[in-house]
Amino acid sequence: MSRRLAARPRLNRPQWALSIGAALAVIGFVGAAQWNSSIARQEFITSAQRVLISQAQQAQSQQESLRSQIEEAEARVRGFQEQAEGSATLSTRLSEQVAAARLATGLAAVRGPGAVVEIADSQRSVPADENASNYIVLVDDLRDLITALWASGAEAITVAGGGGAGGPGERLVSTTSIYGAGSAILINTTLLSPPYRIEAIGPDGLHDRFLVHPSYITRVAKRIDAYGLQFASEPRDELTLPAFIGNTRLRWGAPVAEAN
Amino acid sequence: MAARIAQLSLFGVAIIIGLLLVGQLRSQARPIELSSLTAQELSVLVETLSARNVELAGGLADLVEQIRDYEISEARGQSEVLLTAEDLERIRAFGGLLGIEGQGLLLEVEGSFDPTAINDLINELRNAGADAIAIDDIRITARSVAVLGTDAIEIDGQPIGQTFQIRAIGSPEGLRAAIERPGGILALLQQSVDARFSTTEERTLGIPPTRRDLVPQAASPVE
Repeated sequence: MSRRLAARPRLNRPQWALSIGAALAVIGFVGAAQWNSSIARQEFITSAQRVLISQAQQAQSQQESLRSQIEEAEARVRGFQEQAEGSATLSTRLSEQVAAARLATGLAAVRGPGAVVEIADSQRSVPADENASNYIVLVDDLRDLITALWASGAEAITVAGGGGAGGPGERLVSTTSIYGAGSAILINTTLLSPPYRIEAIGPDGLHDRFLVHPSYITRVAKRIDAYGLQFASEPRDELTLPAFIGNTRLRWGAPVAEAN
Repeated sequence: MAARIAQLSLFGVAIIIGLLLVGQLRSQARPIELSSLTAQELSVLVETLSARNVELAGGLADLVEQIRDYEISEARGQSEVLLTAEDLERIRAFGGLLGIEGQGLLLEVEGSFDPTAINDLINELRNAGADAIAIDDIRITARSVAVLGTDAIEIDGQPIGQTFQIRAIGSPEGLRAAIERPGGILALLQQSVDARFSTTEERTLGIPPTRRDLVPQAASPVE
């Protein structure tokens, strides 16, 4: 038995004209919203702020270039060290020790099971009598979440801005600070914006331990409830975290040789 | 013909709407709104970013020198073992697996603290450019955080008393200025915790290696 397809009704002129008219109205509305918000944002910028914004942007682009040069140079150094592998027992042992030290200190990319945590600004409208900063993710929120993850047994952590869309994330190492300037958050050398995505590798149960850790429930969990900060977390069977890229040189101190 | 024109027009309009909506959604994602920062916040940010760039440039210069050393050693047919051994020491010292000696700041603290205050203090010293930090004999690594233990605040499973010392290797003047600045971490802590602080710039400070095993159990290297 064959079934005939119903004849497709053809759009007549008034129908598609109406559709386009409605679509153009949406375009007009969205376009006007964007235009208005950009005007409002620029209205209150002083000339001093404009100069400082330009300096901050220059510093950021200089930083990107430096980080990519460091990444390249690190790869070349690793190349020299790996070349030596197998040439002599001592070299091989040293290369293994370097690889182990890199792994233990955040200078090597790692994979393993763990947890993913995401936090973003509240979407609630701010009541007139309330402080708007209560409704955005603050540097203390990130610090609390990271403290809770380390204390729950995390072995490696990265933090990415833009929900991870902007890149693989900043690997946390012994010199990492999490620094807030107004609503901007700087981790290592990189300015990040919400939503923030924290990825942590750690032993089984990391996610469960994190959710009941006092560093999470004491402050940040209360803020999530009270102000509607957007929050999600889940355990993961496998995550891959990048190595730290940045300065690993000691500037003010020197290593103390181990006593034999 | 009219239907084809209608379809094409709708297709074009849909693309424009899509592009505009994406733009609108991205602006809702609160990108780094430098324009929303005050001049003072921006000035601090520029200063911090510039200081980090100086650190990065210094690190890059050292790496370039290290590459040159490897190249010279290779050209002369010498072994790279010595260079690799030096690099191993540097990495281990950076990560807390090896002790460090150098100039820095000694901070003596007495009073009742909470773990968050200690973590904030560590964060501030890191932000001021400390190469290494220890609280009493506990070397602070990436994974070291202060938490409330059963009887006391603990870091890496070791208790911290009511009186403790923080040693930070770095620019003594820079570290001191960072934590003692008006509105800085010490000023904030003096309002929130019942504690006394005294700071001394030191020309020689020693910081021990961590006693914690940093070899990961769950994480493995990406080949």
